[in-house]
Amino acid sequence: MAVCTVYTIPTTTHLGGSFNQNKQVFFNYKRSSSFPSSNNILTSVSRPYVITCSAGESQTIVIGLAADSGCGKSTFMRRLTSVFGGAAEPPKGGNPDSNTLISDTTTVICLDDFHSLDRTGRKEKGVTALDPRANDFDLMYEQVKALKEGKPVDKPIYNHVSGLLDPPELIQPPKILVIEGLHPMYDARVRELLDFSIYLDISNEVKFAWKIQRDMKERGHSLESIKASIEARKPDFDAYIDPQKQYADVVIEVLPTQLIPDDDEGKVLRVKMIQKEGVKYFNPVYLFDEGSTISWIPCGRKLTCSYPGIKFSYGPDTFYDNEVTVVEMDGQFDRLDELIYVESHLSNLSTKFYGEVTQQMLKHQDFPGSNNGTGFFQTIIGLKIRDLFEQIVANRSAAPAAAAKA
Amino acid sequence: MIQKKIREAEEVCSQDKTSDGCKVAWDEVEEISAAKSHLRLQLMHSGDPLQSFCQEHPETEECRTYQD
Repeated sequence: MAVCTVYTIPTTTHLGGSFNQNKQVFFNYKRSSSFPSSNNILTSVSRPYVITCSAGESQTIVIGLAADSGCGKSTFMRRLTSVFGGAAEPPKGGNPDSNTLISDTTTVICLDDFHSLDRTGRKEKGVTALDPRANDFDLMYEQVKALKEGKPVDKPIYNHVSGLLDPPELIQPPKILVIEGLHPMYDARVRELLDFSIYLDISNEVKFAWKIQRDMKERGHSLESIKASIEARKPDFDAYIDPQKQYADVVIEVLPTQLIPDDDEGKVLRVKMIQKEGVKYFNPVYLFDEGSTISWIPCGRKLTCSYPGIKFSYGPDTFYDNEVTVVEMDGQFDRLDELIYVESHLSNLSTKFYGEVTQQMLKHQDFPGSNNGTGFFQTIIGLKIRDLFEQIVANRSAAPAAAAKA
Repeated sequence: MIQKKIREAEEVCSQDKTSDGCKVAWDEVEEISAAKSHLRLQLMHSGDPLQSFCQEHPETEECRTYQD
């Protein structure tokens, strides 16, 4: 990607924008004077000009998403890529067990691909996939850095079905690179490369309820086995994965609802969006009055909701020594008008038009979480990331122009 | 396979619940369960294989369409 500037004396023309394909530039300049020579032939006084193109910084932005749900298949990813346009699909013609998803603007890479030990190797060494010792952070750093700089990489593939490391696939640098997995923020060097980071924190009760829904259909699984599996992984999870929360720009915490006493179905959820203050290019979402503390039940005279309704709260807080603001939603959306009503009362959503969040949610009504805070906040984060991307691009192309004018 | 892995995990863990072997065994169960559920979802959404093939290769014999 390059920014080109044409220098002429006395004026300078900046060929705005950035190019990532070959472009033909025709430069016409008006002759300031032409005069017939003695033998009646027009001669032109040529003005010197120089065209310089700088292969400026690549405009790939890198987003990190820490999630325990298995890569690239998660609903969050699909909502995110949908905001940028286009459906994300596995690379065509490649390994069918590839974890990578590619859309027009976005490429999602699964960090499991950087496992240094395959399933057998981990068994021998007695380490889980959660353990940093099972991952090659040097390679992760190298390849994410290369992609950020606009260079393609040959990235290994970890095959979740066979548990083996497959031959690598070629990844082209995209506009937006999302790295999703267990350890996007674990290594300090990789953290530095991230333009924005998100941590999806599912509480144990909700995790249990979701896994029951997922696994009970499988022969062999029982409530006990599901419980044992979660508990056995917990020590490694708490030691290696959970601490990444402190580095995230946004933490989405999913908890059981407080609106229904003793609810254990995990269907109605309380979702908190914990937003770090002072992050470049990120303006936290707020309710009514930024920095104040609000408790809001939208259901009432203007809006009727069915049981259990919706409850919002907003306020500043401290999280791992960081200043944050928290937007929290408990309950479910039942109707379109509830969704649009709530959307219209939130600020700093980075929407491009009224009702964009609602429209995005409607596009994917079949996705899990479409009627509660998980889908709602995930969609909003998608819009915030789009806003971040556009700000970064605007800044980067403004810089060379400014330099040329000087 | 999931059944087998669960039985293995239960065996290993019945000896020592806090051992590394136990952790790894359940981690494997989790990995495979996740892969299986993803496969199930994919099968649900894959639809007609001919349709997706024809989107890629409309010029092949099977995919030609004719209009009167």
